[in-house]
Amino acid sequence: MNNILGNKKYIAIFVLPTLLFYISFVFFPIIWNMYLSMFRTDLMSQNAFIGFKNYTNLFHDQFFIMSLKNNILMIIGSLLAHMPLALFFGNALFHKIKGSKLFQSIFFLPTIICGVAVGMMFNFVYNSEFGLVNKILELFNLSDFKMPWLESEKTVMAALIVVVMWRFVGYHMVIQLAAMKAIPASLYEASSLDGASEWQQFTNVTFPLIKHILKIDVILIITGSLKYYDLIAVMTKGGPNHASEVMSTYMFYQGFRTMKYGYASAIGMILLLLCVLVIWSVNTFVKTENLEY
Amino acid sequence: MRKNVRTIGTILTFTILIIFSIMCVYPIVWLFINSFKGNSEIFTNPWGLPVSWSFVNYIRAIEVGNIGINFMNSVFITTAAVAISVLLSSMASYGIIRMRWKLSKFVYSLFLIGMSIPSYAAIVPLFSMFNRLGIINTYAGIIIPHIVFAFPISIFILSGFFSTIPKELEEAAIIDGCTILKAFFKIIMPISVSSIVTVAVINFINIWNDLLFPQIFLSDKNMMPLPVGLTAFNDLYSTDYVGMIAAVVFTIIPTIIVYIFLHDKIMDGMTAGAVKG
Repeated sequence: MNNILGNKKYIAIFVLPTLLFYISFVFFPIIWNMYLSMFRTDLMSQNAFIGFKNYTNLFHDQFFIMSLKNNILMIIGSLLAHMPLALFFGNALFHKIKGSKLFQSIFFLPTIICGVAVGMMFNFVYNSEFGLVNKILELFNLSDFKMPWLESEKTVMAALIVVVMWRFVGYHMVIQLAAMKAIPASLYEASSLDGASEWQQFTNVTFPLIKHILKIDVILIITGSLKYYDLIAVMTKGGPNHASEVMSTYMFYQGFRTMKYGYASAIGMILLLLCVLVIWSVNTFVKTENLEY
Repeated sequence: MRKNVRTIGTILTFTILIIFSIMCVYPIVWLFINSFKGNSEIFTNPWGLPVSWSFVNYIRAIEVGNIGINFMNSVFITTAAVAISVLLSSMASYGIIRMRWKLSKFVYSLFLIGMSIPSYAAIVPLFSMFNRLGIINTYAGIIIPHIVFAFPISIFILSGFFSTIPKELEEAAIIDGCTILKAFFKIIMPISVSSIVTVAVINFINIWNDLLFPQIFLSDKNMMPLPVGLTAFNDLYSTDYVGMIAAVVFTIIPTIIVYIFLHDKIMDGMTAGAVKG
């Protein structure tokens, strides 16, 4: 039996194709990316080794700095918007057995809708003439607040963050709800007997026991905000005037529109480093012990 | 008094839940209803039901906007990528979890790291590689990246499931004279249908919805899947609002139908990386 399970030929048949594909088309490119980012190249004939110049240029590139700033804005906006809302809804559904499955399914629905479709949907919502937002403002006699939401440099990032919120609050809520369901009901019964209010139960029982999942959720929100592409590419393409540019759209433009592939590789490396940095720092600085109960 | 406060709290919470539910669903319903209206009606009657229900916009989206071809491309690319990646991932997961070899844990971690790696770090070199191989703008050139980037999450979920299967199953089969391959396909796979469906459906959604890879690895507009087709529609026919709405409905209807039937699996699968990780 062990001989059969240790049979090298069969191990190779099962694992090797997948592993080879993976190494060739994921790992090897990433390593090559490090190398490529040190060139000025159009991938055809013009290849010039320039060391770290791509990186120094990036940090002097006002549009890259703007895109970095926008990514950070998205991170902060998403953390502020998604976490409290997801916790609130998750907690509400956790205590309300009736209809909770239906609500879960409804809240999760926006997550599976194609990003491009969501973008186009919200193009209509934010439309200056017949869009939902401006029509509602009209209804409440707040017509002064009507704005070209996606065309104004001041409001575009906020408008985008709201769309991201629409799309992903349900996703984070489902994750947190799953964590909450792992908490034994006996803890709530005991705390009720001791006279704890719902708020006290939340802060003293629920929250501490889902902290480890919240940590992962925070990582997902931050890395997600760094990687965001579809919505922005279709709603504003990074405009107006780069006001909503993010690193992914800038990288795409630099690489695949202006053929500055070395420059784009450098941006890709920076994105990779940032993701790794986020994961490492959240894991290091947010200590959660595994509580025994 | 306490009870009244509790009840008001409950009613308030319920109201907020209902409001958010409406916010989640309404844009989609609005799109669907308005896809049957004419372009002028969307200005005169943005909220109500259409005066007359007509498929004109859908027909125009297909004939003028190329959406029909985009749809076929999406179906082909997604099905091929999902089928191949599910097959390769399940075989690899089985090899990693069930078979004995020294590097199995290392290879497993190698696949798992992939879950944290943004694809941006690989796309420029991949593009260059495919360019030299001459497969840019071919179906192979778009399907291969989708397959390999689906490996981490697929292997994670399938490995999790395979490790719960009792070893007696394979032992019984092998004692009866099965080869490992036969045992795998005739015994292990059939009882793993639930996890396989989960992996297949979340990969389906991710690949169907993806915009970045087709924009990079394909250039012929007749090979483009729906997300790119939608973007092009948006650029070319930006004033044909109802045509655009019809195109959007084309794109989201398959995922919504799949969601209606498989929402449990989809939710489990897409949050698996966080909840079990």
